Amino acid sequence: MSQLFGIFYKARHFFMFLFLQTTCFYLISKNSVYWDVTFFNSTNAVVAQSMKTSQEVKEFINLGEVNDQLALENKSLREELTTSRELVALKEVGYKPDSAMAGRFNFLVAKVINSTENLADNYITLDKGSDDGIVPGMGVICPQGVVGQVMSCNEKYSRVSSILHSKLSVSSEILNGTLRKEGKTALGIGKWQGANSKIIKLNTVDRFKPVRKGDSVVTSMQNSIFPPKIMVGIISKVSAVPSEAFFDINVRLSTDFSSLVYVYVVNNKLLNKQSQVEAKPIN
Amino acid sequence: MNTQTLFKLLGTLALYLFLQIFIVRNLIFFDVAFCFVYISIILFLPSNIPVSRVLLIAFITGIIVDMFYNTAGLHASASLLIGYLRIYIIKILFPTKGLESDLVISLDGIGMERFIRYILILTFIHHFYLFFLEAGSVKFFLNTSLKVIASVLFTSVVTFLLHVYFKSLQNS
Repeated sequence: MSQLFGIFYKARHFFMFLFLQTTCFYLISKNSVYWDVTFFNSTNAVVAQSMKTSQEVKEFINLGEVNDQLALENKSLREELTTSRELVALKEVGYKPDSAMAGRFNFLVAKVINSTENLADNYITLDKGSDDGIVPGMGVICPQGVVGQVMSCNEKYSRVSSILHSKLSVSSEILNGTLRKEGKTALGIGKWQGANSKIIKLNTVDRFKPVRKGDSVVTSMQNSIFPPKIMVGIISKVSAVPSEAFFDINVRLSTDFSSLVYVYVVNNKLLNKQSQVEAKPIN
Repeated sequence: MNTQTLFKLLGTLALYLFLQIFIVRNLIFFDVAFCFVYISIILFLPSNIPVSRVLLIAFITGIIVDMFYNTAGLHASASLLIGYLRIYIIKILFPTKGLESDLVISLDGIGMERFIRYILILTFIHHFYLFFLEAGSVKFFLNTSLKVIASVLFTSVVTFLLHVYFKSLQNS
């Protein structure tokens, strides 16, 4: 008997090994059958917390890449949105939207590499140029609203004059409930006055339109460089001089020019056709 | 085992586990080369520790790694295996005629060539067992073999370099 125990004692490491190994295999088999071995999976609070921290670090490192992906996704969503907006919006009036017309805008993602906002004429430099299909005259928008218009470009870079530029004006439209109910549109031309980089003036809105402070201002349909209904800003002040026919409206810009990163360059595929027909003399 | 060795052991355990879980876990080359640097804990245990403790340490290490890899038991099983075979490998590689307990497993202790051989053999056993157990069959034999070979190379290099680095930190 004692010899037997002696053998067991000699092989005790082997038995311990076998025992632990069996435990392991029990865990393995259990893990593959039931997916929730509660203790040994990462549902465990400590494990989950540390995994989360590690994941957060990883996410932070990958932020740039994620931004690129999001910008690309936004671009395609925006293309779809402008198309469907035009296809749907005017149907009730009896206007038959044409899909080539509705899909005339496509977008190109570009990164802002330099920008000014406090000068008399402000410019933004983008990292895409004529190699990527940008030509002067294209509109530029960002997720918050309009940005400006491409002024010049070479192969790699392009220069955009932002709305904060004395020569640039945006054909805009005021949106509010009363106007929509009455079936009216209030069109105006937005132009920067040069003083405050947050405010632009909206001219030529006539005094009999029901316009109030807080209404939003978007790009109008009569616009060949920007897609319609892109946010411009929110009316911050409406005043009327009795002798004049137009309101004096201040619009607070929705675009924050100091924090621009990604912008979309708008390409209007039908612009050539439009200018062709507009340039023809009337006989 | 006195307090000093215990603390040293716990320090090594924490250090390698931290490396494994937070850093090396994200390092996978070409989808085939994995790095399981935590086996250094078992590889470089002092050789005078009794086998039962080696097995316990291997089991605990493996289970902790398993928790983070969501593979209950897999790593524990593999590291148990090398924990158990370790003493035999040492006996075969370094025939010291009963003086195994005086052997110091380190680069200075046993020399470059034998040290590398020791790391390679144990890493190979661990990875071979681990990947084939994970695959569950020999169905993807070529793919699994490729994984084993690439990972053995990767882990061995990292293990070797880290060992040298930590030793030099200790000495300085």
